[in-house]
This record gives sequence, structure tokens and C-alpha cells, in this order.
Amino acid sequence: MAELQVLLQHRNVPGIDGIDVYESHGGYAGLRAALGKERQGVIDEVKASGLRGRGGAGFPTWIKWNGLPKSGPAQHYLLCNADEGEPGTFKDRELLLKLPHMVVEGMAIAAYATRSTNGFAYVRGEFVESAAQLRKAIDQAYRRGYLGRNILGHSDFCFDLHIHTGAGSYECGEETALMSSLMGERGQPRLKPPHGPLPVVSGVWGSPTLINNVETYACVPHILTHGGAWYAAMGTQRSPGTKIFSVSGHVARPGNYEVELGTPLTELIELAGGVVGGALKAVIPGGSSVPILPAEKCAGVTLDYEGCQAAGTMLGSGGFMVFNDKTDIVALMRRTAQFYAHESCGKCTPCREGTRWMSRVLDRITSGAGRMEDIDLLLSICDQIDGRSYCPLGDAASWPIRAGIRNFRHEFEHWVRHGSSPISGFVPPVRSHGPASVPGRQE
Amino acid sequence: MVAASAGRFSEAGLAQLTEIVSHYPDPGGAILPALWLAQREYGGWLPAEAIVEVAARLGRPASEIQGVASFYTMYNMQQRGRHHIEVCTCLTCGCLGAYEVIDELERILGIHLGQATADGEFSLTEAECLNYCEAATVVQVGERYFGGVNAENAADLIARLRGSEECTPVSLSNAIVEAIVPGYFASSAHG
Ligand SMILES: Cc1cc2nc3c(=O)[nH]c(=O)nc-3n(C[C@H](O)[C@H](O)[C@H](O)COP(=O)(O)O)c2cc1C
Ligand code: SF4
Ligand code: FES
Repeated sequence: MAELQVLLQHRNVPGIDGIDVYESHGGYAGLRAALGKERQGVIDEVKASGLRGRGGAGFPTWIKWNGLPKSGPAQHYLLCNADEGEPGTFKDRELLLKLPHMVVEGMAIAAYATRSTNGFAYVRGEFVESAAQLRKAIDQAYRRGYLGRNILGHSDFCFDLHIHTGAGSYECGEETALMSSLMGERGQPRLKPPHGPLPVVSGVWGSPTLINNVETYACVPHILTHGGAWYAAMGTQRSPGTKIFSVSGHVARPGNYEVELGTPLTELIELAGGVVGGALKAVIPGGSSVPILPAEKCAGVTLDYEGCQAAGTMLGSGGFMVFNDKTDIVALMRRTAQFYAHESCGKCTPCREGTRWMSRVLDRITSGAGRMEDIDLLLSICDQIDGRSYCPLGDAASWPIRAGIRNFRHEFEHWVRHGSSPISGFVPPVRSHGPASVPGRQE
Repeated sequence: MVAASAGRFSEAGLAQLTEIVSHYPDPGGAILPALWLAQREYGGWLPAEAIVEVAARLGRPASEIQGVASFYTMYNMQQRGRHHIEVCTCLTCGCLGAYEVIDELERILGIHLGQATADGEFSLTEAECLNYCEAATVVQVGERYFGGVNAENAADLIARLRGSEECTPVSLSNAIVEAIVPGYFASSAHG
């Protein structure tokens, strides 16, 4: 099996980041096709494609688009979630870097369909180069009349697009926290249904707001150019289309691979050159938040939303991490817990306290001072966070740890019994977390 | 919209702030970008005066600005080294040699993680996933990413940085400001 490149097909064409080369490879044909339709016609095309959000949750894109008011004077906002922070994922960074016009075009089409006149691309602060590429693309698109007033001569379509950069916070990728951050607040989430409004009803500045992931928007021009039915013919019936997987870890050729949804998991590993440095031990298929899959459970798993779920994990963001048999799973879980403890926004107690405790208990185990009851203590902390936290970050912190223990409990027990790793020669890192400021130079 | 205030914002910085405020329906939206600007104007970090100036310029209480700034890791509430080195130790990098890189950098620089060299040239810290995992181990120094760093080539990286004129926290902030402020200003409006 091979890759099926729709989004990434031209990623290595010289100059494809510029508007001329992008246009000569079919760029902005999707926007022209969209403007030839009624707004509802565009939404119907996306509905026919079956496109599901690529930011992690897989929510049907058209339902969101359809949820914004179809008439009335309200200002609508359109946001692009380019805060890519899920460990193991690096597709949005490459899309913005190499194919920024595809994202701009997708946003413009969505703006037309949802009557949005103002857009913000929320780009992760660390993605300086990607943000610069997006800036260049936006400027070029304005000059060609793809952004701004009366786009392509359409009397009833104006859309301004700005870049807003984050400043270092994983939680700001959560859509309501992103909105808080855009409005100049700490990156903490807001109430959602059933307790609060949907963003499409009341989002940023109290206005109807559409938010989609970078890759979701990048799919849209292709759907409008070739038709929803064409897109739906790829992938599986319930998970149509292609998906970019960011493959990293112990493989020969790490990188972004675009395959049809439904591709067998083991084929993706082969595409990336196979496992190096030892035999396959485990895969985390969808970013750090999804349950780890031990090698013996990988056979037969297909990479689509349903296939991953049936295997006890999730497709998530497509951050596909491969680990060989020299990997200490307990140390890997310790590092995972450290990530969530660091990124917890502190708003709710189960996550703020729970992630810290998980991290500390795992520190204790990998320092050699663990107790057998610590393993069940970790499971009980997971239970106290999962389903009890304000936003999904807390749940996402508990899933990988619980799966790590369920699938590799013997390795935790080895650590407790022997005070050392089951992997011979493995010494776990012990680290401090100081502020790294210059001594005596604070004014 | 941008109020007069004592402080260190340059004329160019003020023009950029004015432009930025025009992007948002509410001046609150300009708080994060204004902090990026301030970080550049104040030499790569946000001393108390920078917070006070941003607050005054945007007409908000300084306590609010302090609360926002301190939430985000990329706003430097303390001064960093001229080269602020962030080594990703997250899942992929951590399994592909990141900790050996840190050991080597600690040895070369004579400091521990979380410290800065006495001459202020380097500070060293651990980073969460920089989402460049295909190039593990990844090191970020301001706006620049270095991929494929290992214990063998870490010394070359340090030599390269030593010879560079840049102050990474300033150049990072500047690059971000350039990305968020278009070449044209509000007066010459879009479209
Ligand atoms: C803690 C957390 C972090 C998230 N980070 C991202 C992210 O970096 N990028 C992203 O697109 N979605 C992220 N999401 C998902 C968003 O909340 C949201 O579902 C997504 O942007 C919707 O776009 P889509 O429907 O196109 O996928 C995150 C969610 C959570 C709970
Ligand atoms: S679960 Fe609670 S503390 Fe954790 S990130 Fe969400 S709101 Fe913040
Ligand atoms: S784990 Fe280091 S860049 Fe992702």
C-alpha cells in the first residue's frame, strides 16, 4: 500500500508556498467553485464529503458550519486552530510552512459558507517560521482579491484574516481556552453545553464562532474543487477521506504521511521505513492523550476513528509514535504525566491536583522508591480525574496512564520490586525545573 | 485607542501596537500581541515596568496584565540568557537521546538545567514537545529550531551560538511581531 496524497501532493514543489505556483497547481479553484454556489450549497458539499474535524475529536465539520445563524446582523468569527501542541503531532506546522495558501483558501471558503467577516488564525507561539509563511500567504491573498472586501467581485462577501500567536500553553489548543486567550485572558476554558452555549451560538466576544483545525480547513478546497462525493469515496464509510499521520520515534523515516483512513496500522509503520533499534514494543497512534497500544494488539487495527476505538485507543490528532523494545514504558508514562502536570491550566481541582500527584507518584516509582500500592494509587487518581474535570485535558491526562498500567503492569511491578528498570542499562533521568533566569541580572 | 504612557515603546513599536489594536473588536484582544511587542522593546523579557506600560497603553489594570503574562511560558518574567536553549525531552525526543543532550550541554556550559551561565550568555531549560518530533532530538533557541541534536554535535551547536550576534529572546519576539503585524498599517486599510 502507498500513501494517498491529497493535501500533501505538492508539498515539495518549489515555490508552492507562493501564490503563483499554488494557483498553477489548482489553487483557489475551490474558492471560485464555492462562490459559484449558494452558501447552503457549500455546506451541503462538505456534508456530502463526510469530512470530520482533524483536530482530535473527529466531529462532523458540516454540522458546525450549519450551526451558525443563517441570517441576522450578528458578526460571525472564524478561527483556525493552529496551536498544535499535542505531543507527537507535527502536521499543522508542516501544512502552514509549505502549503499556507491551502489553509487560507479553506478558511475563506468556510467564511463564505458561514457568513463570517473576521477571522483569526491562532498560531502556536513557537511556530515562528510557519507564522511567517502564513503572513506572506495572507498578504498575497489580499493582493489577489481572495481576502478583504468583495472577494472575487462578490458583492456580499468580505473577509479579513489576522494572525494571533499563542505564547506557550498546550491548553490553549482546547477551543474555548483558545477563545479566552484570543480575548486576552489566561488560557482557561469556558463552559460548554449542557451548562453553557456552543461556540457557534456564542463564542469569541459573545458572537457566533466557527473553529476548525488547520488540516480540516486544508481539506476544504479539495472538496469544493472535486466534489463531496469524490472525497467521500476515499477512506471508509464512517471515516471518509485521507488523514495526515505524523510518524516519529523508532522508525527509519519519521515524517508526515498522508494515507486513506482505514489503512492498517502496521502499513503506516512500513511506510515510515519500519521499526529500528529493536522489535516493535508499542504504538501511541493519536498523540500523547490516547491510550498506548502494545505490539501484540497492533495487528489488524485500522487507522480510522472506529478502528482505533475498537482497539481500545483513539485516532486523536494523528501523532503516531512508535517505540521499540528498548523503551521503558514506566519512564515514558512518567514523562507523559509530567507533560500534563505542566500544562494543566489550574482551573479545576481534579486535574490541577491529580496531574501533579500522578507525576509525583511516577517520579517515586522511577526513583526506585515505589511501593506496590502506588500502582493502584495511580489507577485511583486516574479515576478521580477522568470524567470529573472541567475540560477534556484532565480526561486526556488519565487515559494514557491507565492504559500504560493495564497493558504493561508487569513493568511497573518490576520497577517496584527491583528499584530499577526492566530494560537493562536504562537509567531514568532525574531533573529539576528551574526558571533558567540569569542570576543577578533581574532589574 | 492606544493611550499615552511613560515607558520604553519605540515609535515603530507604538505604530505596530496601534495597528494590532485595530484587528480586534475589543482592545482586550491586543493584550497577548502587546506583550510580545513589550518583550521585544524591553530587551527580551518583561520587567515590572513593561507590565505597567502595557497596562497603561491598553487602559487595563496592571494586575490583569501581570496575571495574563504569567500564565504563558513564552513570556519571560525573568531575564534569560542571551541564548536561551530549550531542549525538548517529551515523548519522542526523550526516547531518542534528549537526556544525553542535556547531560552534554550541562557539562559544556557548567550549569544545570534551569540555570544560566554567570556571564549571562546561555540559559538552559527543558521543553515540552516542540511538535517537530520527526527531527528528534529538537532544540529551540529563540526563533530557531535545531533538529537531530545529539551528544556528539551538541558542542558544535554551542560554538555556533557563541559566535552569533543575536539575542534570542529579542529576535524571537521580533519575528513574532513581524508575523502578526502586516506590512501595511491601519490607515492604508486592507483591500
Ligand atoms: C487540551 C486540548 C488541546 C487541544 N489542542 C488542539 C490543537 O492543538 N489543535 C487543534 O486543532 N485542536 C485541539 N484540540 C481540539 C479543539 O478543542 C477542537 O476540538 C478543534 O480545534 C476543533 O476543530 P476540528 O473540528 O476541525 O477538529 C484540543 C483539545 C483539548 C481538550
Ligand atoms: S481539566 Fe481543569 S485544570 Fe485541567 S486544563 Fe481543563 S480546566 Fe484546566
Ligand atoms: S517530542 Fe520533541 S519535538 Fe515532539
